[in-house]
Amino acid sequence: MNGDQRERLARAQAELLGALLAGGPSPAGFDQRLLAVEANSLLAKRRGIVAMLNPEVADVLADRFRPLFDEYARAHPRRTGSRAREDAVDFAAWARERGELPTEKPNRWWRRKAT
Amino acid sequence: MGVLDKLGVGIGWRPEIDLTVERLPGVDFVEVVAENLHVEHLPESILLLRERGVPVLPHAVSLSLGSADPVEPDRVEHLGAVAEALGAPLVSDHVCFVRAGGLDSGHLMPVPRTRDALDVLVANVKTAQANLPVPLALENIAALLEWPDGELTEGQFLAELVERTDCHLLIDVANLHANALNLGTDPNRFLDEIPLERLAYVHVAGGVEHNGVYHDTHAHAVRPEVLELLGELRSRVDPPGVLLERDDNYPSDTELAGELAAIRGVLARHA
Repeated sequence: MNGDQRERLARAQAELLGALLAGGPSPAGFDQRLLAVEANSLLAKRRGIVAMLNPEVADVLADRFRPLFDEYARAHPRRTGSRAREDAVDFAAWARERGELPTEKPNRWWRRKAT
Repeated sequence: MGVLDKLGVGIGWRPEIDLTVERLPGVDFVEVVAENLHVEHLPESILLLRERGVPVLPHAVSLSLGSADPVEPDRVEHLGAVAEALGAPLVSDHVCFVRAGGLDSGHLMPVPRTRDALDVLVANVKTAQANLPVPLALENIAALLEWPDGELTEGQFLAELVERTDCHLLIDVANLHANALNLGTDPNRFLDEIPLERLAYVHVAGGVEHNGVYHDTHAHAVRPEVLELLGELRSRVDPPGVLLERDDNYPSDTELAGELAAIRGVLARHA
């Protein structure tokens, strides 16, 4: 095994993930239909995990959850080293910034901070 | 292969079905997702199963051994520590890559079946093996797409991987079914080409077909075609173990017991 082999493989793998996760150009030689199936499958898995980790946000957004999450996900592919919980928190912050979620969580006595 | 000579029939332990796994009759061994465990805080249910003498095998999903990037030592170290904490005879991960170019796919991606990719995989597997306290088994994945310019069939690719690294194989017959349906893999040729004497155990799981594409969901019932492939495999070799994976949309205990019974039935009929 030599460095060139790792280099070539690294380029090919990065190109594939870029296409599947970040809207990059389709790499040559792949079946376009299967690329789309794979991209949707990865997106659905990520969406399902975020919905599971943050069901309140998914509930509040209801029908808007899926299109909003998909838009967020394509613009923010998961980076290596990031955690699923961070993804859920980041999505909620993104949706809040866009006015899709209430900016402040309702004040509840058990959450109120002493000031 | 020691204890692996008779693992029997098992099920994937998940926190959501811990009590079910404990009380289901005829669970000879279980598997745990290694990344979900903390060595210092093992779930009570897992400790109970260990007390009963049930083997608990750590199964990893994040080593990304097919990545162009070198293996991340912390991930291998964690897997090894889980194996030691559980007294496991063997650990496993997949023939796949998860991360590349700074992105995390969140799932198991197929590697190109080229000499280049195989050489890199072999180097990564050897690094992992050198840092693990127990043998490593590698599993065939369910792929939704195929790389262009493959130089080897999936069976040839796995056979060469085993020959060069002396790893064991974990064969998932649902993944084999998925690849047959989605990519046109010939399951009989696959079973002919892989070294069955290196088989550690077998995975069986459920899935669903949408628009002609089979999705390996682990959230639906096991399909008859998958059990047929298990029978095909059993007619060639007596696998040390067969394990049912269910990860979501959990059915009743009765339904899971029925799937385990169906697996036993297939094994007996093809013996």
